[in-house]
Amino acid sequence: MKREDLILKWLDNNLTTAELEAFKNLEDYNDLVKLSQAMMRFKTDDYNSDDALADLKTKLRTKQKAKVKKNWLKPLLRIAAVLAIGFGTFYYTATQDTNFETLAAQKNTITLPDASTVTLNSLSSIRFNKNNWKENREIKLTGEGYFKVAKGATFSVQTTRGIVTVLGTEFSVKERNSNFEVVCYEGSVRVNYNAQSVVLKPTESYVIIDGEHIETESVSAASPLWLANESAFKSMPLRYVLSEFERQYNVTINSKNIDIKQLYTGSFTHEDIDVALQAITLPLQLTFKKDSDIILLSSE
Amino acid sequence: MSKNLQEDICDETLFNSIFKKYAKNLHDFLYYKFGDHLDPKDKTQEAFIKLWENCGKVSPDKAKSYVFTIGNNLMLNETKHQKVVLKYQKTKPQSHTIETPEYIMESNEYMEKLQLAISNLTEAQRTAFLLNRVEGKRHKEIAALLDISTKAVEKRIYGALKKLREDLDTI
Repeated sequence: MKREDLILKWLDNNLTTAELEAFKNLEDYNDLVKLSQAMMRFKTDDYNSDDALADLKTKLRTKQKAKVKKNWLKPLLRIAAVLAIGFGTFYYTATQDTNFETLAAQKNTITLPDASTVTLNSLSSIRFNKNNWKENREIKLTGEGYFKVAKGATFSVQTTRGIVTVLGTEFSVKERNSNFEVVCYEGSVRVNYNAQSVVLKPTESYVIIDGEHIETESVSAASPLWLANESAFKSMPLRYVLSEFERQYNVTINSKNIDIKQLYTGSFTHEDIDVALQAITLPLQLTFKKDSDIILLSSE
Repeated sequence: MSKNLQEDICDETLFNSIFKKYAKNLHDFLYYKFGDHLDPKDKTQEAFIKLWENCGKVSPDKAKSYVFTIGNNLMLNETKHQKVVLKYQKTKPQSHTIETPEYIMESNEYMEKLQLAISNLTEAQRTAFLLNRVEGKRHKEIAALLDISTKAVEKRIYGALKKLREDLDTI
């Protein structure tokens, strides 16, 4: 038998008597036995399973107590976290407002969730919350818009100047600088301006210019003229007319040489800038000079 | 085929018997593999605490490899690949009646050499060899503990013996 096999069998304590004899005859028998005996001294400290188990039991008991306390808290916190995130996202999406805006020289008609429509004049914007639309028909408006309101709950248009509320009607609201203008075309409209509250019947209008209420005649048109690409003014300070012109054509008007406080009555088209300029300058005896986007006005 | 009566080991008497069966083996395994400076006793306890906490997920026949893996991992988390130096008992069992000072000195020298040589073995070699030589375990018992074949155990033990003897001669 080979030496290696003998040693292995000896290591496994598996030698037969004959093999043991053979093993004892190996030249390094003494070395192996010496090594083997020396190895015995590397024995671990006595490990007592019973003591260790008892020790483990006490450890487990104290641990369990600590654990029981926390047990219900952890899943509860998880549920709370999920609820919080869910509610948070729902709240965020539900309260997010919808926004529409028009640029200079641009008009746009927006259909609201209940088939009411808003037509926005140039450089205007509306904002509303469509999720809660049925109960709460509220629109924030800056600029100028024409509203066709379907029947339903109170429909209100909020501007920085005042609030317009209706039930189902057609009206237009204009809020530019310090001017505020509401025209009613059908049904009836309630206007809240500062502390005042006015109810408008068809063809009536409510106009505030420079913070002052202006008495106006009845409006003959069935819808705002700007819907037909025309802007009409009655005894309006020229500077408001010019700023409307700037919005419609997206140009800059230099008016430092003329009196912009004079009143203007008339209208200009949104379709042809030259015709429109003439419509303003001719009655007021002004001349204009056009240089790409800048228009210089001067007295004759 | 044998069928397990218990699906898990949450039963306390079953857990106790598993502890008594494997705790010492696990402790010895950790001790010989990693040395005593990482507190194998404590790691053994921790491994069994983990076993009890997860008793619902572990079937009786998986319990042994479960605690061995946990114990091993606990050690690995701490070990920084330090050299493993095992202690030996300073008082030698009384086998010789005549102990000349030369003999004692020679014997101490031999033990120190052996200690160094053991720490130079690989983890696998040391674990298998010491379980065999010190704990007196048969090859197939070690094979079952370490989840390796008997052949592999023999290879490790014989390799360890060869390496030890070479080192003892050269040191």
